[in-house]
Amino acid sequence: MGTVEYIQHHLQNNAVCSADNINPATGLCEGFWTFHMDTILISIALGALIILVAARLGKRLEAGAPSGFQNAVEGVLDFVGQQVRDTFPGKNPLIAPLALTIFVWVWLMNFMDLIPVDLLPLLAQMVTGDPHFHLKVVPTTDLNTTMAMALSVFALIIFYNIKVKGLWGFTKMFLFHPFGKFFIPFNIVMTLIEEVSKPLSLGLRLFGNMFAGELVFLLIALIGGTLAVGIGALFWAPLQALLGLGWLIFHILVITLQAFIFMVLTIVYLGMAHTEMDDH
Amino acid sequence: MHYWDAMSDKTDGKMPNLLLISAGSMFTSMVVAGFLVGYWLDSLFDTQPFGLLICGVMGFIGGARKVYDILMKMPHECK
Repeated sequence: MGTVEYIQHHLQNNAVCSADNINPATGLCEGFWTFHMDTILISIALGALIILVAARLGKRLEAGAPSGFQNAVEGVLDFVGQQVRDTFPGKNPLIAPLALTIFVWVWLMNFMDLIPVDLLPLLAQMVTGDPHFHLKVVPTTDLNTTMAMALSVFALIIFYNIKVKGLWGFTKMFLFHPFGKFFIPFNIVMTLIEEVSKPLSLGLRLFGNMFAGELVFLLIALIGGTLAVGIGALFWAPLQALLGLGWLIFHILVITLQAFIFMVLTIVYLGMAHTEMDDH
Repeated sequence: MHYWDAMSDKTDGKMPNLLLISAGSMFTSMVVAGFLVGYWLDSLFDTQPFGLLICGVMGFIGGARKVYDILMKMPHECK
């Protein structure tokens, strides 16, 4: 397998579709009704892991000074709670649990990037016996995941905009913001653009950062994989290990930062939806 | 009172500061959103390519304006 094939193979999801959606030239699924099974199953498994760990921890809570894992979880809870208290202007019991879910789930999905790029696909190929089996283990490197999460947040933004401001208040936002009552057609288009940009910026930022990070891991993996021939391996293999370790340590910061940004912007956008706007 | 002033008051100025972390992507996503809305309006009213171009420019202007507004909300010691 050449360098290009290696990268293409790793960036290909395990897709399932009906027979008429398969491209005869490439043999790959195309079209709207294509399901990325690896993305769906891994994200559901990580969500289930959160529920399982939370349920087990909930039964063994220690009063007083907690230790170990409970202490770490309480730290995360305090951190998210503080962010919500600081940045969310109204009162809504949904926001803190939503922010916590987003932070932990996105972090766990991003964390899959730290597992060696060839490990899980190789295991899947050994289990299935198919040497061309596709497995993309990081759900957030799939645009479907990030845009689905962003659109879910967007649906909540619209819901709370209408609930808090009322239908007329929401309509007024489109009619009179940002240029005042004499530019209503411009205001409608501008506010529409502004609203559409929210899920775009949420989803594309997370996808872009994680996809680029995954690509760098693949390129580092290629150093040892394709260049380590004969005596050259003595130089290239340690270099790959060193670069891989460096990027991995840096990536711990990236995955945490991206999960934090997604969570904070969700709180801020929902906070905006809860804020009454004065007429210009 | 400006929209963000109200938010800023209610959150002790923390909300605009947090929006700063997304100022760059906010600008680019406004331009992309402008083209998307323009494309949609064009297909709705059959006005290709004017909707795309006008909304693209509006996205650019709106994005620049939004980033400027957020930057102006920064605390003075950070400027």
